Amino acid sequence: MGFDKMEIVKYIEILRNNMKTLKKVLIAYLVALVLFDVLLPRDEAHAHYFVDKVWAYWTFFSIAGCFLLIKVAKGIAHTFLSKDEDYYG
Amino acid sequence: MDRWLHPAIFFFLGSLILPFVKGEKAKKFLILLIPALSIVDVALMGEGVYGVYNFLGTTLTFGRVDKLSLVFAWVFVIMAFLGALYALHVKEDGHHIAANFYVGSSLGAIFGGDYLTVFIFWEIMAFSSVFLVWYRKERRSIEAGYRYLLVHVFGGLLFFAGMMLYYYKTGSLAFDRILPDRAGLAEYLILAGFSLNAAVLPLHAWLPDAYPEATVEGAVFMCAFTTKTAVYVLARGFPGFEVLAILGTAMTVYGVFYAVIENDMRRVLAYHIISQVGYMVAGVGIGTELSLNGACAHAFAHILYKALLFMGAGAVLYMAGTAKLSKLGGLYRYMPLTMVFYVVGAISISGFPLFSGFVSKSMIVASAHEKGRIMLMSLMNLAGIGTFLSVGLKVTYFAFFSKEEAPIKAKEPPKNMLWSMGLTSFLCFAIGVYPKMLYVLLPYGAEYHPYTLSHLSEVLQILSFTGLVFFLLVHKLTPEEKINLDLDYFYRKGGWLFLRLDEKVIAVIDAFWGELYKLLGLRLLFKKADFSYGFDRLVIDGIVDGSAEAARGLGGFVKRLQTGRVQAYIGLSLLIFVFVVWFLIYGL
Repeated sequence: MGFDKMEIVKYIEILRNNMKTLKKVLIAYLVALVLFDVLLPRDEAHAHYFVDKVWAYWTFFSIAGCFLLIKVAKGIAHTFLSKDEDYYG
Repeated sequence: MDRWLHPAIFFFLGSLILPFVKGEKAKKFLILLIPALSIVDVALMGEGVYGVYNFLGTTLTFGRVDKLSLVFAWVFVIMAFLGALYALHVKEDGHHIAANFYVGSSLGAIFGGDYLTVFIFWEIMAFSSVFLVWYRKERRSIEAGYRYLLVHVFGGLLFFAGMMLYYYKTGSLAFDRILPDRAGLAEYLILAGFSLNAAVLPLHAWLPDAYPEATVEGAVFMCAFTTKTAVYVLARGFPGFEVLAILGTAMTVYGVFYAVIENDMRRVLAYHIISQVGYMVAGVGIGTELSLNGACAHAFAHILYKALLFMGAGAVLYMAGTAKLSKLGGLYRYMPLTMVFYVVGAISISGFPLFSGFVSKSMIVASAHEKGRIMLMSLMNLAGIGTFLSVGLKVTYFAFFSKEEAPIKAKEPPKNMLWSMGLTSFLCFAIGVYPKMLYVLLPYGAEYHPYTLSHLSEVLQILSFTGLVFFLLVHKLTPEEKINLDLDYFYRKGGWLFLRLDEKVIAVIDAFWGELYKLLGLRLLFKKADFSYGFDRLVIDGIVDGSAEAARGLGGFVKRLQTGRVQAYIGLSLLIFVFVVWFLIYGL
């Protein structure tokens, strides 16, 4: 096939060895994403609801949502859902 | 074409031939030929109603071919091919036969135009798919298989009771759209039976109980057919039922909630079936043309990427011997191709632009938005966050990265598995890039354009910032070697409680009764010794010993079944299936 699957591993290791640069690029990407949403012309005809009107609404939504999901799920699991693996025998 | 050939016939007949084919190559050829022929059959199929028979005074319709049944048929036969390719290395004929009957009966249910036909195939599906669990041949799987079967028999009974009431009410078994304001007990019983197969809350616990215990290859089949057949019948019969919109949305969040805390890869994926089917059920419940199209499109896309994910997780389980995240890590160096394919599945399910989930899931979210159901839309997007968080980030990170040196140095799986994953990945990508090839199959007229700037912005924000939070909180998500209780607790512990009740309460009453009998019996014995003796000897002992003997015999019989005499089952099932096949071919 003329394709060496170890190429994939090589590229991943390049990324892993340059974590600092990678982080900077990703942060720049996130900032750009928010700016993009702020500058995006609103389609007034279809924007009836606050989710369409607030700037970068989905950014706030996903940060809060993801944080809550992890906290609540892990919290409930640790309080009463988690059992040992041989719980049912 | 005015003559119509039921695609299920290939699967049923092929299975009957399979055990007689000698030679490994010939067998493999046949295993792939069956689904390939069915794909050709579906491609040549024209819309219309075929295979109508009168049976005991009712009309049975085996072939209702319209756009709604065709879109499901298409993805079923494609999936059957990919699944067969993935399972090509499996040596047991029985495993292939079970998978074929499972696929064939799903196709039967899709094309069925009346409740009785759907019901017959519905039951065959349950009874053939359970073998895909039992073939794992471990104690846990055998037990999980029995629970799976019992729950599905219960669901079948709900459906059957509803069907009978419906017949009594309307005098017909025709399976058509039911209007929400005309629905009574009969319709709701049918709805409950369908919902159980769609794993709608609170009838969902069978799914994460059974699927992770299935064979590596069997799980790939199971994740595709049962729930999606149920989505089809819901879309056919119950669009616009508000209860489905609400429960469906609840499912989306419920599934990801468990996926965040589960440890076993295949359990994470099983909970994600609940979540993803939730979108489809909600789409059916919202009931607009766009949302119904969305439900169909999502079923199509979902079957492919979910199978791909189960293939990836299955490959890890097959090669590493475990799918528990707490035991895995660092596999990217040893299974790079599997990782790439898994990641394609993961970003498809998360709805990344250019992959299939993006063009299908957003139809349902958009339809909720369009109807002003902002709460439903927000919860679906919350579930979207959880999807990327658990399947996309958590599983990928803890299985393929996280540790510098892999604790288990597994190799890439066999070639047929890799090819199957590669083909499925290609389809996920192709649908994402060229959604038109999916949209032309959709049953209703509503148009949808996924690649708008505002939609791209919304989706990219949701996914990217989920990624950010994941990397900030990654230590919180470290997998733990635990299982999490779900509603199956009640029937699993219910059985246990019954045993305890037997031990503590019934045994005490029994002992008390024995004492009383002794006390009174002794007095009576002195008075009417002969009669009492005779009565005790002949009648009571007779009954007690007889029932004990019977119980022991039954116990022995059940025990023999449980020790995995799978052949005997298949023999019996085959007999029944021969009858069904005969019935299908008759007159075609």
